[in-house]
Amino acid sequence: MTPDPADAAGGPDQQPEPAAPPRKPSAPDKAFARIGHSQWRDFWTGTKAIAPLMPGSVVFGLAVGALINLAGWPAWLGPYASATVSAGASQIAIVDALTQGAPAIIAIVTALVINARLALYSASLAPVFAAFPTRWKLLLAYLMTDQSAAVSVITADKWPDPVRRRWFIFGVSGPFTAVWILGTAAGAILGPVIPAEWQIGFIVPLMFIAVLVPALRTLPAVAATGISIAVVLLLKDLPYGLNVLAGALAGIGLASFMPDRADAVAGTAPGSPEEVAE
Amino acid sequence: MITAFIVFTIAAIGTYAIRLSGVFLLGGDRELPPRVRKALSLVAPAAMAAIVANSLLLNEGEWRAFGAWHLAALVAVGVALWKRSMGWTLATGVVAFAALLLAGL
Repeated sequence: MTPDPADAAGGPDQQPEPAAPPRKPSAPDKAFARIGHSQWRDFWTGTKAIAPLMPGSVVFGLAVGALINLAGWPAWLGPYASATVSAGASQIAIVDALTQGAPAIIAIVTALVINARLALYSASLAPVFAAFPTRWKLLLAYLMTDQSAAVSVITADKWPDPVRRRWFIFGVSGPFTAVWILGTAAGAILGPVIPAEWQIGFIVPLMFIAVLVPALRTLPAVAATGISIAVVLLLKDLPYGLNVLAGALAGIGLASFMPDRADAVAGTAPGSPEEVAE
Repeated sequence: MITAFIVFTIAAIGTYAIRLSGVFLLGGDRELPPRVRKALSLVAPAAMAAIVANSLLLNEGEWRAFGAWHLAALVAVGVALWKRSMGWTLATGVVAFAALLLAGL
């Protein structure tokens, strides 16, 4: 029972009144699901920042879902994989390995090696997430994808307030994962509806060019890009997509020795490109 | 089918552990050294460039034959540097690629 303010004002010798008129249950007026307007606004800002990538995610999801269909597995496995593994390249690798009769352990190891790059994104998001409560870290890490991690880390500087920042990042990563799941579900149900001649695989490098290149503004970032590409190509014969991991690590490691102007002014984090979205 | 379900599930658990790793190992209150912060700021460009190189210039580990992929990607990179916009880059990249395919490249 909540004490009524009127009781407290009434003094100690006041007779206990019969039950006070029940209060109207506070209507969920300004909030939906107990989440305020301003939080939804920050969430929506995040969703808009990643929205240009959503059609690409749906199309790629259609293609990955179609692989489940072609493998002859039940359609629900498509959205199941997208909602749990939630990393397209590794999902393709699993389907490839299993349909070619590889042992399950090979499929799992291949997927985890391909996804090892997510540890790098996770590390780069650590300072961005540092002030968040643990449950938010658990949620936002679950929703982390290449695209949402990059958009989050590139735009995080614009969100100094950690509460607003976490709603923004939730808006970046949640809906993006949702459309990915829906795209895969549609592909798994419909099968290969996109003609092979369309070569929709092009959407993968295109999406990453669209995130990466507009944000390239510092010398070390450009150097990291160049080194990474060179190492990926030099090591193209490595198995399990290890050339991608090696390229990323080489780019990060070598380019971090490179000085840039921000270092001369202060030891602040360099390479904070401002705008990735319009 | 049951194998695929189990493989996806184990891969999902492992991948979630990977996603949590950096956030929890580096996410304490202590301030990270400038060198580490700098390296972390290079993660996104380096990792994305690696994916672009692997999916654009290679195909299943072999060199991709020169054609519409390379040309449309060049258009996209040019627009990205000019407009500094994700939306414009994607739109022009898709249109350029479709046009090149229709042109028979």
